Amino acid sequence: MRDRLRIGIVGAGPVMERYHIPAINAVPEVVRSIVVDADAERSKNAALRFQIPRWSNRLDELAEGADLALVLVPNGHHAEVSCELLRRGVHVLCEKPLARNPAECLSMIESARRSRALLCTGHNRRFRQHIQLARKLLLDGLIGEIVRVEAEEGSTADWPRSRAYFDPEQSGGGALMDVGIHSIDLIRWLAGEFETVEYKGNGTASCAESEAEMRFSLSNGATGKLVASRDRELRQTLTIIGTQGTLEIGLWAPTLGMVSKRGKAFQNFKRLDIAVPRRPPQDTSFVEQLRNFVSAIHGEGDLVVTGEDGMAAVDAVYRAYRGTPATSLRPAEIPAERS
Amino acid sequence: MPTERQSAANDPARHVVAVAAEHDDLRAAVSASISAVPTLLPSDLPRLVVIKPNLCDITSWETGVTTDPQWVGVLADQLRSIRPDVQIRIVESDAISAYKTYRSCDETFERLGFVDAAERANVGLMNLSRSDTIELSLPGVPLPVRVPQIFLEELFFISIANLKVHPYTIMTGILKNSLGLLADADIASFHPHLSSLISALHRLCPSDLCIIDGRIGLEGQGPILGVPVRMNTILFGNDALATDEVACRLMGIQAERVPHLQRVATDMDRAFGQFRLSGEIHPRPFAIQSPDAQRAIALKFGARRFYQRTELLTNRWIDRAMRFRRHPISFAKSAVAKLTGQLNAR
Repeated sequence: MRDRLRIGIVGAGPVMERYHIPAINAVPEVVRSIVVDADAERSKNAALRFQIPRWSNRLDELAEGADLALVLVPNGHHAEVSCELLRRGVHVLCEKPLARNPAECLSMIESARRSRALLCTGHNRRFRQHIQLARKLLLDGLIGEIVRVEAEEGSTADWPRSRAYFDPEQSGGGALMDVGIHSIDLIRWLAGEFETVEYKGNGTASCAESEAEMRFSLSNGATGKLVASRDRELRQTLTIIGTQGTLEIGLWAPTLGMVSKRGKAFQNFKRLDIAVPRRPPQDTSFVEQLRNFVSAIHGEGDLVVTGEDGMAAVDAVYRAYRGTPATSLRPAEIPAERS
Repeated sequence: MPTERQSAANDPARHVVAVAAEHDDLRAAVSASISAVPTLLPSDLPRLVVIKPNLCDITSWETGVTTDPQWVGVLADQLRSIRPDVQIRIVESDAISAYKTYRSCDETFERLGFVDAAERANVGLMNLSRSDTIELSLPGVPLPVRVPQIFLEELFFISIANLKVHPYTIMTGILKNSLGLLADADIASFHPHLSSLISALHRLCPSDLCIIDGRIGLEGQGPILGVPVRMNTILFGNDALATDEVACRLMGIQAERVPHLQRVATDMDRAFGQFRLSGEIHPRPFAIQSPDAQRAIALKFGARRFYQRTELLTNRWIDRAMRFRRHPISFAKSAVAKLTGQLNAR
């Protein structure tokens, strides 16, 4: 077995605990090295709880003690933290969205290029099995040419979030930037690059939008609509309509419904659904994401989600925000219990 | 021998052609069937043709158990005469037999002469158990079904079966041959749901050309250990249920008694006998091992099905109780809601 890569974590919040610690547990090629958080007490608690040998509230200590880092801080600090680590040659896997705007993303990509470190964006959904299957079916031409894409994702927030999360300056955006960006990345990966975007949302100067609707066209001529919400339960699906059929992809549940005019299997069945076990399996996308990152560091494969991918998704959101927002929706407010 | 000719012609679109054939008459038999019903092989043939032989054991075709490898060359020539750029694939999967012995598809291809035949005819062999698969939830089948992704492509599907009896399903034929499309080697878990599975697979991958090679049939302890019977008949059809019905007649079996045929007819909303039969058949009642065996098997499957259902039910409630173990009142409330919902649904 070759030397294990030392992994450092920046940001000891719920994202680390819920998603990234289980992923680290399942990737023996990495060894925990250090956890850093602006709040020293929080980093100490995380270190003790998750058997991380060192903790600190200083980023330079991580740069000295880690080969790769997970950047799990609020959006407003992604660029600053990642650039610092990349500059020191630490490979960075930064949570989505890569940064608040394309300029910040570009600075991260430039930092990575200069130091020859890798920059990966945490669009983990690309690693989910049913989404990879959907991509293969699309490439195989199951539904023909893509003509329409529709995505809906929304729910009420289910964990404590800081005030920065609702501040457009610090977060870079609301429902579209935080929730919708997953779908934006998947649309790019599955259907094509964004060409034109139109947006309407209920954001105000002091509170990022909780409801967003983005209409768009893609480089292949397809059109689409994306609805993202922090206030409502939506269908959590991505529907891709082609000239020969439709794919309905679960954004949360591992579901995939297929309708096609071609294909032997559709001769008698109007729609086929992949089997979903009664007890849905553990989501391994974070594990696969980390494995892909480690393999890429070892030069054994390409990154599935690069910094450029992260930037392209942020760019679509940024362009949407820069358009003329319609304000017919009820203005967003910071919910008291979430702050 | 009694002779039966021209059955009910309720649906002229469904044809079965019976052709008399001796040992090496495959090429002539195919030509005769096409002459009788030219639409058996369409002029707008898709580029991909998949042929599924019956290779349920490593036993030579002369025993009536497996498909004759000569079919590969004969069909390849016929298909290329319609579309020269056709891509032909012979497919089969690994299997664990009822006797719990593992059969490798690759070894079966090799030892039964399909590798040589495929090379000579320049067609591909495909082990479905090693191909890309997709796990589907099919209506009427309580378990997920793993099928090869190739069936999501446009293709022309040819199924070649043998004329055999079977202790569980009374007879095997085109419809039961589709079980070999499952990528999972061990299909024992499906046995209690065999008829619904066969019906679902038939709807998922319907055969476009059905061939039942009845030159040599198999009676007694089929589908592997039986006694070969020379029947000198090959059935060609464009409908699996119709072709299996004619095979039943050939073997002196009432199609209505065959559980999976009955199930397919019900699921497809069809009655028996709705096809046109060309050519002559000479039925000969096939001996089936023992009617007692069928009763015992039905009982075994019934018991297994009951066990599976109760196990699922028990597990669900144990799960639920564990999840709510610290909240007994919530558990009671959810249980009442669940049971009431189920009763209302019924």
